Amino acid sequence: MVTADKLDELQLEPEVPELDLSWLNLDTEWGVSAEPGRKGLTLQQINKSLYGDIPATSEDNSARPRGAAPPEGAAPRMTPWVLGDATETFSESAGLLYDEAVSRQWSSATDIPWDTMDELPEDIERAMAQLCTSLTEVEFIAGDVPGKWLPRIAADHFESGLFLMSQVMDEARHTDVFRKRALANGGGLLLQGGGGGLRQILEAEDFTQMSSMLHILGEGFVQSLFRLGELIAHNEAEKRIFRLAAQDESRHVAYGVTHLKYTLENDPEKAEEVHWTLDMFENSTVDPDQVNPGLAGALVYLLGDGDVDEGWRLFWHVRRKQVLEYLHRLDVAGLGGRLESGRLHPALAGALDES
Amino acid sequence: MPESDVVAAAKERLEQSGLPSNWLDIPVHWGVKAKEQATPENGGLRFEYLNVDIYGEVPEHWDNNTEIPRGAIPDTRTEQMGYSIFSKSEVWSDLCAGLYEDAIADRWNSSADIPWESLAPIGSDLERAVCQIATLISEYAWTKAQTTGRWLQEISYGYIEVKLFLGTVVFDGARLYEVWRKRALANGGGLGRGGRNWKFLPLTQSYTFSEFCVASVMHDAMLIALLRHGEQLAQTEAERKIYELCQKDIERHLAYFVDHMRYLMLREPERREEVHRYLNKAEWYLAKDGDDTLYSALGVIMGDGREGAEEAMADVAELRREQVETYLGYLRECHLGDREDRLNEELRKWAGIMPAEEVEKIPI
Ligand SMILES: [Fe+2]
Ligand SMILES: [Fe+2]
Repeated sequence: MVTADKLDELQLEPEVPELDLSWLNLDTEWGVSAEPGRKGLTLQQINKSLYGDIPATSEDNSARPRGAAPPEGAAPRMTPWVLGDATETFSESAGLLYDEAVSRQWSSATDIPWDTMDELPEDIERAMAQLCTSLTEVEFIAGDVPGKWLPRIAADHFESGLFLMSQVMDEARHTDVFRKRALANGGGLLLQGGGGGLRQILEAEDFTQMSSMLHILGEGFVQSLFRLGELIAHNEAEKRIFRLAAQDESRHVAYGVTHLKYTLENDPEKAEEVHWTLDMFENSTVDPDQVNPGLAGALVYLLGDGDVDEGWRLFWHVRRKQVLEYLHRLDVAGLGGRLESGRLHPALAGALDES
Repeated sequence: MPESDVVAAAKERLEQSGLPSNWLDIPVHWGVKAKEQATPENGGLRFEYLNVDIYGEVPEHWDNNTEIPRGAIPDTRTEQMGYSIFSKSEVWSDLCAGLYEDAIADRWNSSADIPWESLAPIGSDLERAVCQIATLISEYAWTKAQTTGRWLQEISYGYIEVKLFLGTVVFDGARLYEVWRKRALANGGGLGRGGRNWKFLPLTQSYTFSEFCVASVMHDAMLIALLRHGEQLAQTEAERKIYELCQKDIERHLAYFVDHMRYLMLREPERREEVHRYLNKAEWYLAKDGDDTLYSALGVIMGDGREGAEEAMADVAELRREQVETYLGYLRECHLGDREDRLNEELRKWAGIMPAEEVEKIPI
């Protein structure tokens, strides 16, 4: 064993690395520059010339940045497989959504006015604690899923990778902020939500299927709900939580919609596969056997502020909005017609009925 | 059963409407009020302040394979998920919650927080060299974020603090990737040549999380030693800022990886030899990979152009020596000080450490 004080006598001159200047004469595209704009130097502004050319198919499963020259000598395969076809993961908006994510990060520690939370009646505090227990659980899975897919994103399609990395961060914050709310005001964590199709999202082995469940239906419903957070919140802190989380969810939903749009434009045959996935996932969402106490009982209770009949009325108002927005998003993505063709789950179609 | 009248009445109303009310029956750990610590002086409501009552009990073994929040009451109908890590010693560090909040408090934006307008022509050789380094750092960042992300689906909610912190590592990786890409494409240059990537295999191939962590200690240590030379290497104010901000992020990552490995070594000392195996592998790949373009590009920068590069290689050798020293320093903090004796022969040359067999002959 050599002790630290003996190290000095063992010190030799460090070996000098070999100087190889071949990289000074590469034929990668040279002479590109970019000027910062109103929002600084965004991804959009550097997506120029060859570096902005997104290959429809990438053969590269290494970590090499798009547009860099390949290394000299043998390079290993990094992962068993990557999704090389752009229709698998690409979205025209991914870069923009990533830029937006970076500029709109917030802190659950300092951006929520926690001091506005007064003591709530015990029933209301319990209901809010239950809702937040279910939400922290949902958000937990929402972060695991993009993490799972990251190694499969081709470096040539890095915009989608960066977006998913920002989603991992956003969902960490959501997991955290709902846990904080549950533990902030006396309630605590209550009953596990359990089910509602969370596992289907995690177990999907096709990215577009996963994205239609997570980004379009799941987060779409969550976003519509959060945007109506004023109806649930009892103080400024809760309002702010829903408002800020809704802003993040909008990006996640937008990614899903623009990804599906790109995929369907370039691979129209995928439509039936996505329909099938939505048939299955809509069913899980409304399956009475998988009912989530937080997203049903506690939510209704909070909406009515303890008046269950009023809560039900508002719940259907929320549900109607969720379904309308969901159908609209599918329309934009090029997958319209689920209602008209009778394919939308009857329990969701029923929510559109005004009575 | 609910005790207070108001809760009993709530339960009755819900039941009459056919809504789930079982959540009103469960025992409540009433009175946990983390908000009381959320003062501006305390940094707001930081995650550390949630760890009170049963919610702060981080179990040695977590036995629930669903996404149940730690401290909530299980719903036994819930399907099992695919988590594989249920042991505290495999992932834990007491620093996680704090580092998670620090990462958020230190957040920065590569679009707006870098003085891009300070970029100016620096001559073709230097621009090529900066772009070459940028290409290689981007490549590592991509791998780092991808491989870190992959572990999220393995770690159960029992260790939620670890997962939240890893979320910030993934996001920091994204920023590390794009800020260097921006630098390469903003100043009249372009991307350079990609690396061979052999050195990343210990990250992508890891079977256990601690294997991934200790390989990350090596890679992050090599990177941080480089970033600490930012003042010397930066050609413009923009680069100086990039070096500074990236360094801060990587310091946080190392704080976790190192503290976790120290925790593991204390809790499971019998895994020491196994960990050395992972280090053997990580070092071997790093040494074989060589990364000549990195050190040659550094030579061009330190030599102020290709003419001065040859002479500057002695300084580059010194920087590479520092990298290995930095790595060994972090390993000492991990309670892996015995690595010194077992360091890969190539890396010994980089660091100017006598070959292991020579050392053995010295009477101490
Ligand atoms: Fe979320
Ligand atoms: Fe989300």
